[in-house]
Amino acid sequence: MIHLQNLVKRFGAQMAVAGLSFDIPAGQIVGFLGPNGAGKTTTLKMLTGMLTPTSGTATVAGFDLATDTLEVKRQTGFVPDSGAVYESLTGLEYLEMVAALYGIPEAAARERIRQFLAFFDLSFETLTDKLLGAYSKGMRRKVVITAALLHNPPVVFFDEPLDGLDANAAVGFKALIQTLAREGKTIVYSSHILDVVEKVCERVLIIDQGRLLLDGRPDELVASHQAGTLEKLFTRLTGGAEIERRAEDFAKTFRL
Amino acid sequence: MSAAANQSPPIPRAPSMERTLHRLFLTLFLRGRSARGLHKESAPKSIGSRLLLTLVIYTLMGLMAFVFWGKPVFGLALYLHAMTLVFLGMLVAGSAGEMLFNSQEADILLHRPVTPKALLRAKVGVLAQVSLWLAGAFNLTGFFVGVWCRNGGWGFPLAHALSTVLAALFCAGSVVLVYQLCLRWFGRERLDGVMTTAQVFTAIFAVLGAQLAPQLLGRFSDRAPLSLEAWWVGLLPPAWFAGFDDALAGSGDASSWALGAFGVVVTTGVLWLSFGRLARDYELGLQTLSEAAPARPSPPGSPRRWLNRLAGLPPLCWGLRDPVARASFLLAAAYLVRDREVKLRVFPGLAPLLVFPILLLWQSHGKAGLGSFGIVLGGTYICLIPVLAMQMLRFSQQWQAADLFRLAPLAGPAPLALGARQAVVWLLLAPLLVVYAVAAWFLAPDRSQLLLLLPGLIALPAISLVPCATAAFVPFSAPSEEAKSAGRGLSMFGLMLLSLVLSGLAAAAWSGGWFGWLVFVESGLAIAAYIGLRTRIGQRRWEPLDG
Repeated sequence: MIHLQNLVKRFGAQMAVAGLSFDIPAGQIVGFLGPNGAGKTTTLKMLTGMLTPTSGTATVAGFDLATDTLEVKRQTGFVPDSGAVYESLTGLEYLEMVAALYGIPEAAARERIRQFLAFFDLSFETLTDKLLGAYSKGMRRKVVITAALLHNPPVVFFDEPLDGLDANAAVGFKALIQTLAREGKTIVYSSHILDVVEKVCERVLIIDQGRLLLDGRPDELVASHQAGTLEKLFTRLTGGAEIERRAEDFAKTFRL
Repeated sequence: MSAAANQSPPIPRAPSMERTLHRLFLTLFLRGRSARGLHKESAPKSIGSRLLLTLVIYTLMGLMAFVFWGKPVFGLALYLHAMTLVFLGMLVAGSAGEMLFNSQEADILLHRPVTPKALLRAKVGVLAQVSLWLAGAFNLTGFFVGVWCRNGGWGFPLAHALSTVLAALFCAGSVVLVYQLCLRWFGRERLDGVMTTAQVFTAIFAVLGAQLAPQLLGRFSDRAPLSLEAWWVGLLPPAWFAGFDDALAGSGDASSWALGAFGVVVTTGVLWLSFGRLARDYELGLQTLSEAAPARPSPPGSPRRWLNRLAGLPPLCWGLRDPVARASFLLAAAYLVRDREVKLRVFPGLAPLLVFPILLLWQSHGKAGLGSFGIVLGGTYICLIPVLAMQMLRFSQQWQAADLFRLAPLAGPAPLALGARQAVVWLLLAPLLVVYAVAAWFLAPDRSQLLLLLPGLIALPAISLVPCATAAFVPFSAPSEEAKSAGRGLSMFGLMLLSLVLSGLAAAAWSGGWFGWLVFVESGLAIAAYIGLRTRIGQRRWEPLDG
């Protein structure tokens, strides 16, 4: 469903993504991990057509990223980590605008929106009366997730989707993406919350400095590296092994 | 047909995408980009009602067209197009940056099946539409005055409507073209800075143009055939569109036809370049905004280091002994130097306050009677610069970050206000004072009259404290949407009246021979006011957030 071949993205002299290659079949939930600045968001933005790769090739849902960018966009949903929305629109205005961009008829869009409202336990009045600028962070995130899934895309990219969601919504969301994957959707899930990734994802890709470090099932990777947990494996791979000792040293500087 | 395309049902192309985008950007333009209100009814309408008020004001300003009753069509059309282009230039230059290159928009729209061309068309369509509303309001009187102009007739309203549409398209296209050329020539790293500078200068020139154009037109209108024969008229965009009017519904001279044709060709060229030839650059510009700019070390002369050094130099450091005041100075200075939104509000906003005193000097040049009043009024107007600048520094899109100050162990906002005031005084007022002093040196009818600047300069330290004393001033603590409140305009109007009174008094004292006494008394009052205001500012405590 997703195929990358030596994908590169440079910003001037800075190499953000340095030749990534991997394949993701349909119906898989893949955790996309890496420390800050590893190139995760840049990769996701390239795969959603937001950024043009410097070199390399990629296909998403069978469409070439370079030549069929609009088709790729029609086949994908994306929840960006910024959670940006137009704050001076109401939730309903925003979602109807998104639906129109994908050519979803108004009645069908309303029906789909009602289904999401029921899932996220939001009232229709909230969606019609309140401007998005007045929403809580969690409510806004629910609207962004709804907007990403509204057109029923076969491939969905999530960048820190749980940010701002309360515990119940987070549990519901995890169940949602597992069900979506069983229904055949491909999910790419980028997050720093590694225990969630470990539970939800059947495969993880760990990148650092734009390069792929590891690719495999979380339990197998943890076992083969004798790390105990995915978190420990991640910190060992990405230079964070010393972080606990450094945290202790730093905390000591606060001694009264 | 690829295999993958068979796997998922094809999603129909959006037939209403253009309409959807147009409606979206018109809504955003009228409501503002960010809304704080809880409900749809409460927050977003302010800008729409302001637009309505603006339309009424533009219609009233358009009444000036009656001056051209019975005069040649070309003169009326030149006046109307000059003013229309100035006002539209201000609107488009002020709105285009935020509208065309909104950094958050990439995360909202760029991953959706929308072409950059469709985005660009929708955005410019909205800008052109609003421009046409304003142009229509301003030209309303002119449409009818043109019927009764010399060599005018009932064809004028139609011809002028066409040329106004052309002018609006030319204006919107030119601004978009400037942005695209900036992107192409200066690259992504410098795009934001260059765009901001271009926008600031365009807005300043538009503001200055609004003040200078009537003066220049007033002077030129005394000369009979309004320079249709002068070669340089062909360099002025308003003359192209005025030529269009004159060709179709006026004298029909060959020179008017040539000017009109030139206007049509240039407008077509600008539109072709901005929406056809360089449309790909717009896509790159949008992508640029969604990229994280690579971190680069600050060069030795960068504003950050320069500002730190400035804060350590006397006499500025004497006013920044309090570390909170120093931090506030650096914050205000950084935003004045770097933040696009703040720069676009502050610099064009201050331009009239600089140009008006210089115009007074210019007009009184060689006229001794008016000269004394003009110079003293110029000096007192300069006093208003810090007041206006301080008022504008209260607003920012990042206003919520100012909660930081409430969390800090500060009894009240006094050091924050005083630090920001120092930034205004040293970064805005001081350079403007130098410019004004140089202008006064050359334009004052008699250099001894430069003493007339004293009443303004003496009042300056006290008056610059007024914004800090009348409210709990915290820099960048109010949302940008509140920046155009009527109350702010009213307080500025009051201060302008005060400066007129002081100027009249000083001019009378100068001619009456008791100017020295006036300066003495004013100095005493200014010192007392300064001490009183400083005390009041120091006693100010935080206002409750729900107040």
